[in-house]
Amino acid sequence: MSKAAAKSTAPAKQSKADYEGRSKPSQIRESNIVAAKSVASAIRTSLGPRGMDKMIQEGKGEVTITNDGATILKQMKVIHPAAKMLVELSKAQDIEAGDGTTSVVVLAGSMLEASQKLLSKGIHPTIISESFQRAAARACNILDTLATPVDMTDRQMLMKIASTSLNSKVVSQYSSVLAPIAVNAVLSVCGGPDSVSLNDIRVVKKLGGTVEDTEMIPGLLLDHKTCSSSGGVHRMEKARIGLIQFCISPPKTDMENTVVLNDYTQMDRVLKEERMYILNIVKEIKKAGCNVLFIQKSILRDAVNDLALHFLAKMKILVVKDIERDEVEFICKTLNCRPIASLDHFNPDMLGTAELVEEVQTGSSKITKVTGIQNQGKTMSILVRGSNKLVLDEAERSLHDALCVIRCLVKKKQLIPGGGAPEIELSQQLTAHSNTLAGIEQYCVRAFAQSLEIIPYTLAENAGLNAIQTVTELRNRHANGEKTAGINVRKGAITNILDESVLQPLLVSSSAVSLAAETVRCILKIDDVIQCIRG
Amino acid sequence: GAEEERSETARLSSFVGAIAVGDLIKSTLGPKGMDKILLGGRNGDGVEVTNDGATILKSLGVDNPAAKILVNMSKTQDDEVGDGTTSVTVLAAELLREAEQMMAHKLHPQTIISGWRKACDAARQALESAAIDNSKDTARFREDLMNIARTTLSSKLLTQHRDHFAELAVNAILRLKGSGNLEAIQLIKKLGGLLGDSYLDEGFLLDKKIGAQQPKRIEKAKVLIANTPMDSDKIKVFGSKIKVDAVAKLSELELAEKQKMKAKVEKIVAHGCNVFINRQLIYNYPEQLFSDAGVVSIEHADFEGIERLALVLGGEIVSTFDSPGSVKLGECDLIEEVMIGEDKLIRMSGVPLGEACTIVLRGATQQILDEADRSLHDALRLCRTPRVICGGGCAEALMAVAVSRLAAQTAGKEAIAMEAFARALLQLPTAIADNGGYDSSDLVAQIRASHVAGQSYIGLNMTDGVPADMRQLGITESLRVKRQVLLSAAEAAEMILRVDDILKASPRPRRQEH
Repeated sequence: MSKAAAKSTAPAKQSKADYEGRSKPSQIRESNIVAAKSVASAIRTSLGPRGMDKMIQEGKGEVTITNDGATILKQMKVIHPAAKMLVELSKAQDIEAGDGTTSVVVLAGSMLEASQKLLSKGIHPTIISESFQRAAARACNILDTLATPVDMTDRQMLMKIASTSLNSKVVSQYSSVLAPIAVNAVLSVCGGPDSVSLNDIRVVKKLGGTVEDTEMIPGLLLDHKTCSSSGGVHRMEKARIGLIQFCISPPKTDMENTVVLNDYTQMDRVLKEERMYILNIVKEIKKAGCNVLFIQKSILRDAVNDLALHFLAKMKILVVKDIERDEVEFICKTLNCRPIASLDHFNPDMLGTAELVEEVQTGSSKITKVTGIQNQGKTMSILVRGSNKLVLDEAERSLHDALCVIRCLVKKKQLIPGGGAPEIELSQQLTAHSNTLAGIEQYCVRAFAQSLEIIPYTLAENAGLNAIQTVTELRNRHANGEKTAGINVRKGAITNILDESVLQPLLVSSSAVSLAAETVRCILKIDDVIQCIRG
Repeated sequence: GAEEERSETARLSSFVGAIAVGDLIKSTLGPKGMDKILLGGRNGDGVEVTNDGATILKSLGVDNPAAKILVNMSKTQDDEVGDGTTSVTVLAAELLREAEQMMAHKLHPQTIISGWRKACDAARQALESAAIDNSKDTARFREDLMNIARTTLSSKLLTQHRDHFAELAVNAILRLKGSGNLEAIQLIKKLGGLLGDSYLDEGFLLDKKIGAQQPKRIEKAKVLIANTPMDSDKIKVFGSKIKVDAVAKLSELELAEKQKMKAKVEKIVAHGCNVFINRQLIYNYPEQLFSDAGVVSIEHADFEGIERLALVLGGEIVSTFDSPGSVKLGECDLIEEVMIGEDKLIRMSGVPLGEACTIVLRGATQQILDEADRSLHDALRLCRTPRVICGGGCAEALMAVAVSRLAAQTAGKEAIAMEAFARALLQLPTAIADNGGYDSSDLVAQIRASHVAGQSYIGLNMTDGVPADMRQLGITESLRVKRQVLLSAAEAAEMILRVDDILKASPRPRRQEH
């Protein structure tokens, strides 16, 4: 190629690259914001007590109906990277606070919309990002001042808070049943002053009955039936419970083995020996005084065979098999027993004691209930019932949210009013604060403040109220100093929300604002999407 | 078949490739730099958001040979010094852009190269003479480290929390007491919470569970760290098989196997340990035996975990247990369970290797966590160097001025190459200012003017978009990084410039199947 040609092509290429360099980032940013906003608007309608549910059909045709933001987003197959970040955001809120998973995404969507307007005015994304960060920190401080401490012994109060969370779900009419369960369960597993692990609450869901039949079991609930082959026992009073991790089946070595038989008389002998071997184990178990046996699942061999079950039934020992290994810890904690890994260790002091172990028929399947446990550990079991699978699943999720709300309060014993009151108050105080700032930041903080109004706006819209009228009235009331005025969805009017006892933990709101702001900043800072090689 | 590109074409394709890569990551430079989304890649359909040059380039599928050289160079920079991966690529690309212009003016590549070499030397001398060494004075040294950490973090996602994270990084580094063993610093990522909730734990955290029904709190722990199968001690000869003629004998053999395991556990306990950590699984039976012996067993610590544990606890990894006397046990004052978010972890405090610590990162999304991990990693790597230099484009301006001064004194064509080198250096502050949305031409000219006038601490104040004294703002960078950026970029650019022929080997012919 001649030199002249090289000279002419090079600058042309360069200038084109420069041109692309300038237009591409804003396109990428635009597309990110649009994608994230569409995710937010998809779940917007499920916010609040009058929010609607979504029906999600999976690839296999399975259907989920839910109102829970985190669940909806988890099921949605989003492809756009920015949209994926919003899904992550709601997951993070789920982990952190357990509730408010819809609000956090709606907030993020609204903040993105605000930043889109700011971007179109030519404000640099980094400046927007920094201002939002400061505004979010400020917002958390303001929320702190709105909060009132809560007394963890005031069950009445706690129940009202749990009901607030439950009110937005399908199962809201059962909140009188579920709220006390959630409160009692969390309070009874609450160990230290501010530590509570939801792993200590076991939720078993069973089809049949209605949500009203949901109950808290003061004991242990196993999602297994008792073994019924050859007339097994299904009910045992004054139970001595052993949890074994060894197998009651013909011996098997770790090395490969074969039993070699030379003639048919040996066959009888082998069968007899096998019987003797198993009988011996069962007798040992009986000797220790055990009359209820929980058997851990084994993948290498049969944990228990039919012959053993037969002997156990004859000895009047109730058997529950196929206990998963990760359930062992919970069972031990509840029953105050120790797992037994070999027959040599089968001593009476390894057993747990309970008043009653029984199999209960629930709808089409059976579960095992252990009640009256001596020295019960700090654990709790909840049996959730529902008339169909969809309601059942949703009831479980709602219960989880309610549990999380109470847990939040244990972690941070502060309450703020609900019903859109804190958001409006935040918006007003931030706007006032923005006037003290100089330069572009003032503009950004103001936009941030306004974007918070999306929550009361959506609440009103979903409740069928005139959104603009409601929000403006709300603003007015707050401007006149009524810090607790919020949207009373039941009455369809603005009232003092404290009178209605619509309350929520501070942690839910503060983490929603700060997590949403963090994600929005992350999205704003992106200016390119690169397809990677598999590496 | 094989392809060949010759002289002008070859050079052109090298330049185009290198400049494209440079332009791609230019926008991530500086405190107001932007991030990139990486789609696909390592974690399947997952999304990664990053500002780290090395990470972006690593994931980039490039076909151009010159671009590949730049990608490799940034990888080396990452391995060598940990930071400056973007700067080095941008500088090399800018050098090549200048070279393209000079080639158009009929300068011979060798002339350009010899001019660059002299320029590079001059720049390095200017850089080293401007460096400050405060390692004698502890308080000042700490301040320097804080500044370095803050400066590198300010270009990342962590910028809003840079004080917090700089504190974390510096505290962790100072615990190392100059041993520079970064292995002893562990980063644990836990979803949930905020970036600001991240903290430094003085102990060592292990993301594992203590066996069922064993004490959750052990004081004065003696730890035996092992890598041994605790499911069954099989004979490892292939196809070993037992043949018996009665079930009773089989059960005897099963018992014998159990006895063997029991003997093994007894041997382990005979070491006098009260905590046993194994890399492999521990089955129920041995676990029970351990509980009976009052020994806490922790199973399935992964390979990395085990090695780090051995380092931190000062023990050795054992796999045979016949000589209890000669085995060194790990020690620590207290082992207990702690809750982070929803998960329980094991915390070991009072470890003999006092340098060890764990930084727990919290963040809203996995992307934020990963990015925080990468940024903190950079900051940790940087904090090891005692000598510092001013950042914010100040070092580049300093070098550029030194190089132009040399050019003014040089007779001959090499002077043109030196001028070009100086211009390329100034492209770095230009890019930083551009990313912040400031008037780069004006700012860079102002900075250069101040440097020529002898005010050699003037750099870019990116908060207000004005030139300012970098010492007062505390924007400092590590000398090692800057020097490495300069040298690698010059070297890579030189290498690409020397190329006048690209041969593409023909792909290996696929054998015909009959």
